[in-house]
Amino acid sequence: MRAILKNGVAVFTPQGFLDGSSGNALLSIDDIEGTVQQNADMVLVSLKKVIFFNRNGLDSFVKMFTKVRATNHCTVGFCDLDTKKYNAITKFYKNDLAFSIFQTQEIATLFAASYKNQNKNVLLYNEDKSQRAAMAIELHDNGHNPIVAQTKKEFQEKIAVENAYDIIIQDTYLGQMGQKVATRVTGNAIIYTISSFLDAEIGNTFNIAYHNNSLNVGFRLFIFDAYKVISMNIHALNFFSKLATAGAEYNAAICFVGISFDKTPKEFKETLEDSGIMFFEQMDDILQNKKLLEELGASSAANIKEKRAINKTTITKLPNFIEATVGTIEMMTNSKAMKEAVVINKITIDQKEGKIASSIGFYGDMDGMVILVFPTGIAKKACELLIGEETDDSELILDTLAELVNIVGGKVKTLLGDIHISVDITLPRTYQNIDSLLEIVQDKKGVQVDLAFNDDKFLFFLTR
Amino acid sequence: MITKETIDNFISKIPPAPHALKETLLHLNVGDLTKAAKAASQDKALNNYLKVLVNKPIYGFRNQVNEVSQIFGILGVNKSQQAVYNYMTTLLSPSKWTLFKLNRVLFYNLQADLSMNWQKILTHLNIEDKETLSAISLLPASIIVSEALFCERKKDIDILRSVHPIDLNTILKRLTGLDLFDLCEQIAGKWEMNEKISQIIQASSGTNPSSDSDIDTLGKWMHLLLFYTLSQPQYIEAELNDFINFQVEYVSDIYEDFSQLMEIS
Repeated sequence: MRAILKNGVAVFTPQGFLDGSSGNALLSIDDIEGTVQQNADMVLVSLKKVIFFNRNGLDSFVKMFTKVRATNHCTVGFCDLDTKKYNAITKFYKNDLAFSIFQTQEIATLFAASYKNQNKNVLLYNEDKSQRAAMAIELHDNGHNPIVAQTKKEFQEKIAVENAYDIIIQDTYLGQMGQKVATRVTGNAIIYTISSFLDAEIGNTFNIAYHNNSLNVGFRLFIFDAYKVISMNIHALNFFSKLATAGAEYNAAICFVGISFDKTPKEFKETLEDSGIMFFEQMDDILQNKKLLEELGASSAANIKEKRAINKTTITKLPNFIEATVGTIEMMTNSKAMKEAVVINKITIDQKEGKIASSIGFYGDMDGMVILVFPTGIAKKACELLIGEETDDSELILDTLAELVNIVGGKVKTLLGDIHISVDITLPRTYQNIDSLLEIVQDKKGVQVDLAFNDDKFLFFLTR
Repeated sequence: MITKETIDNFISKIPPAPHALKETLLHLNVGDLTKAAKAASQDKALNNYLKVLVNKPIYGFRNQVNEVSQIFGILGVNKSQQAVYNYMTTLLSPSKWTLFKLNRVLFYNLQADLSMNWQKILTHLNIEDKETLSAISLLPASIIVSEALFCERKKDIDILRSVHPIDLNTILKRLTGLDLFDLCEQIAGKWEMNEKISQIIQASSGTNPSSDSDIDTLGKWMHLLLFYTLSQPQYIEAELNDFINFQVEYVSDIYEDFSQLMEIS
């Protein structure tokens, strides 16, 4: 079974009746581990479409959860359930509830460190006092504003007030939470979230392969969101020093934001600074400072020097990339593509208005980046298949576009795999206007293919 | 990917019911089992299919049954019609399955599982008419249609469904305006099946409730039976569990009754 991964939360959705035999057929340990490899903070099984389950059915999943959690440090559990299902699960596992239960996927997302849309007013209630406290702490740490109802009566009074809260949490239980270093992309920077005590375990919870691949596909600014870090020991210090030294070869910058050295030796900070790591108090000190971003390498100006040229290996595989892109857009829009021109040069976009763009990197046996520039019309049409209706909501279109580019990336991976070239893909990025795209790629050389889908001009650009 | 023309092309290629089948059904319609068996004997493939089907363990016959007249005699008029319709559905099935990990044996098993449990349900609901009994035979046509339309796009579908929660029925509806169950209805029309069969099949999609409460109730039972069946390991492994969306809310009012009947615990 396949999971859908969004905002760091991977969800499997079985349907129908779940017992011991169907549970093992629905999900395998390989399914879960394959999902975790894609950088999921949480792996959940949705019970939304399950009308019946018994203890044996859940056990088959719980055994896999336990195994995956022990090796991959991610949060595991169930989501999308009503009070009846919640009560049944908590009754089955009364003294052995190590996994989490989230009433909805939306609630689970609040607890996922990769989720970027913070500052929600969240009302929560659980009859267990320690659960209430644990949830409030996690939500607060993730940038939300938790309001805790101490009694059922208080909870009912509070939920009676209309529109007072963004999200209401009940029928939710926090088991052992994930310890993976969460990752998200903001603009041209990659942000890792680290917390509590940092020790040798950071070597296991930090996805070094992902980091190296991000360097390979051109990311130069890496920010550690370290507001929740209490202290670090010498093993963690060595880890970050090595990371900074390795990044220096790529001219990459590593920054720590929000870390306090109250409980960590002051010399540690000096050692980290010596290895090139910079420290900032607030995230906005970096992200809102355009000049600093340029200096730190998160813009085209600083990146040009390090750009690697498009090479023959990549160009010879161009037909695979075009097939993946054209096939996907044709599938999504039910239109036919016409190839109009192919040139090797810097990207040229004649008409910037009414266009949005997206990109996805790939790495492995070969590496590079695919950039797609859509007229808004094609983007909207392609999104219709996924969301089922026309929309002018630009945020929704960009979100759906990211899914679409993910599909292109997945198809590239499959097509290259067919000819024994193994690649992985990065998180997709979207650009709501052409200027923000050009900041990244205007000086990169690559292959530009102009396509027409039913007279709408569409641009494909492959670079490194 | 798939257009209205693709669908028209698919429907146009469906052959009309063969003469021997039509004749068999005509005789069954007036309750003449002897003449029906004689007509059915002209079609060797039908003979063979009936033998394979009724000798499956779920039919519970102690001894091997070989003659069509014997088979029709044991099954009676209603179940014989259902078996003939099941055979007609298999005429659409591909020689090699690509989208689903099915084969001929597993597909026949699926038909048998659905048919026997549907009969159990109708007995429970005190419904005896043969059109309602036969309606179940058209349900697996939705699987065959999915296979036919999506088999060449399996990789695309897999990738699409790995980033967005969307079932084959919704994809088809959004691309063409028609869903799998509309196509089943068109097949039923081409084979001159009773209109009631089409109505029950439409309701069983879970997304097109019927305004006729009796038909709608049957649609609910059939929808739930489909997912009860597709929750069995062999069909999950055939990747049938999520080919369409299970509408849990739609069947909530009959679930308790269903679980008692099927002895689910």
